[in-house]
Amino acid sequence: MTKEKMRVGLFVTCLVDLMRPRIGFAALRLLEAAGCDVVVPAAQTCCGQPAFNSGDTRVARALALKLIVEFEGLDYVVVPSGSCAGMIRVHYPQLFDDDPAAAARARALAARTFELTDFLVSVLGVAEVPGDFEGTVTYHDSCSGLRELGVKAQPRALLAHMPGVELKEMAASEECCGFGGMFSVKFGDISTRIVDRKCDNIRATGADAVVLGDLGCMLNIEGRLRRRGDERTRVLHVAEVLAGED
Amino acid sequence: MRSQAMFFKARAGDKLADRQLQANLGKAKSRFVEGRAQAVADYDAAPGADFEALRDAASAIRDRVLANLDVWLETFEDKARARGAEVLYARDGAEICRLVVDIARRHGVTKAAKSKSMLSEEAGLNAALAAAGIEPVETDLGEYILQINDNEPPSHIIAPVFHKSKEEVAELFARTHHTPKKDDIAGMAREAREVLREHFLSAEMGISGANFLIAETGSAALVTNEGNGRMVTTLPKVHVVVTGIEKLVPTLEDFSTLMRLLPRSATGQRISNYVSVLTGVKGEDDLDGPEHLYVILVDNGRASLVGTEFEPMLRCIRCGACMNHCPVYQSVGGHAYGWVYPGPMGSVLTPLYTGIDNALDLPHASTLCNQCGVVCPVKIPLPELLRKLREKQVELKLRPWRERLALRLWGWIASRPALYGFAARIAVRYLNRRAGGTDRIGALRAAPDWTAGRDLAAPEGRTFRELYAERIRHEARRKR
Repeated sequence: MTKEKMRVGLFVTCLVDLMRPRIGFAALRLLEAAGCDVVVPAAQTCCGQPAFNSGDTRVARALALKLIVEFEGLDYVVVPSGSCAGMIRVHYPQLFDDDPAAAARARALAARTFELTDFLVSVLGVAEVPGDFEGTVTYHDSCSGLRELGVKAQPRALLAHMPGVELKEMAASEECCGFGGMFSVKFGDISTRIVDRKCDNIRATGADAVVLGDLGCMLNIEGRLRRRGDERTRVLHVAEVLAGED
Repeated sequence: MRSQAMFFKARAGDKLADRQLQANLGKAKSRFVEGRAQAVADYDAAPGADFEALRDAASAIRDRVLANLDVWLETFEDKARARGAEVLYARDGAEICRLVVDIARRHGVTKAAKSKSMLSEEAGLNAALAAAGIEPVETDLGEYILQINDNEPPSHIIAPVFHKSKEEVAELFARTHHTPKKDDIAGMAREAREVLREHFLSAEMGISGANFLIAETGSAALVTNEGNGRMVTTLPKVHVVVTGIEKLVPTLEDFSTLMRLLPRSATGQRISNYVSVLTGVKGEDDLDGPEHLYVILVDNGRASLVGTEFEPMLRCIRCGACMNHCPVYQSVGGHAYGWVYPGPMGSVLTPLYTGIDNALDLPHASTLCNQCGVVCPVKIPLPELLRKLREKQVELKLRPWRERLALRLWGWIASRPALYGFAARIAVRYLNRRAGGTDRIGALRAAPDWTAGRDLAAPEGRTFRELYAERIRHEARRKR
């Protein structure tokens, strides 16, 4: 990929599509600023994670195959979500135990799939980003990004390069926020207790914003902060901070 | 013990509302979590030591046993018999009770001193002994506290009174022992020790579990912090070990490898205060030890996991690290789980041992954050096993029909991009109407539990697909 531009498929994820399109555009802007030729396959929908985590493997397999087909011809797949990237990287290859051909395709795709900040730092070696955020931020490590993909230093390295950003670490940044997809719907009250601890830790840093790489955590943490009456602390996806306003 | 796991959700709600419990859980959590982190850091600081490599070695030992469990059981049996022990097998809890009561009757036992056995919880052994006219006395401080508190079940596998505060115990002691209320732990421990000493000396039988069974020597190894384990296993003339068939390790060397992990993972200790390796009956030259030793090896659902996708669960060495680090356990404590084993390991074991349809909530009572998997000393992929149990539930059609329908419907729509695009537009517009011009939604009928504790931030008005398609059209126009 020396002469020609790298063709990078952006998987925007269903939550970004529905709830926060601007995160999808921020990811697009970051990849373009880094010199990638970004392709957004029009037929993409959901990676199948909700079905997979709920035990419905049949549905998960169907959606996985669909995504594999859509992104197969590209050099890389980049996802602005640790859990969806983790789904493709870690769990897609496990889904096809009884179908070696599909398993091989899943493994091939998995090897080229990256979480956004991981891709920018580890693959592209990006340091400078277009964003111009001013203020103190604290970073919440979402579980899948951290423990399935090893995303920890990458977003921090990018944020550290932004002159206006001061990073203040919260206590227990690696602890779950209590979202867990359907978990927070099925066990709303337990999830609330867990996210309360997260909110306390965010609050204690006094940061202007909590920054994170997963939309699920984002909706969960923002939802609880607002319900607790915190209107001040902004909850921002790392792509938004790094890309800045359009 | 009868499983109450079907009531996880309701019990969890009660536990969340229990202010005293919440305060106690918070205090206890930081002790265990920080203790383990420090112990691991200290271990790694030593030259040439690598905790990760130790975890690999330990899981390999456990897998080696499980791959040839029958052979190791035979080896253990031969060695233990050669040292004068009688080795018995129990299929289930009822059989454990029958065997122990028979042994007690044979030796004219009226009182049994007990130490550390989760299997006696699985079997409901105390109730069976009491019914047979034999008094069971728990001698682990935590278990003793629970016993005098109207036989309350433990809430943690190594810290059974994890859920109680010092003050609660002080009150219980004053009430039960008819003594003035004490406010120091040392004083309370002394008081319990005085009561228990009497029992150690008068019990004709000791009952213990075993942390490990060592095949090459036929020994049962016991890891404790209070020293009562040694009394229970050496003072009475009869000693009965009740433990699971999966507790075997091949050699003493393997045992020592696992011992480097167990206390560090459990309590953050380098080694526990007492490690007893009990081999055979009292010899002619021995000063103490039991005259009769029985080892009851229990299946109770274990053998059926060998060779299945759930086999890795049998590696478990019962350290409790998974629960200590689990955000769900930290929030509701052990009693919410409704059976002997709480936390992530319990959410796997309870459905497997008591029936998948008797614990429908448990495999779902996890955010799959994988903190449990990261701290498990024998690398049990707990989130993966929880997910496999969820799969089994779906296969057996055990999930509520609404949930199954919703998933199928979502899969059906998400497989059809045009339909998905249309449905997404409708959903976004619906949510924005619910937000009523504000930036958030305070209550959503589709997810009442979710919005009970949070506001849902309203969508931005249009989906990414819509906006992106527009951008593409716009760019195409510009190029023309």
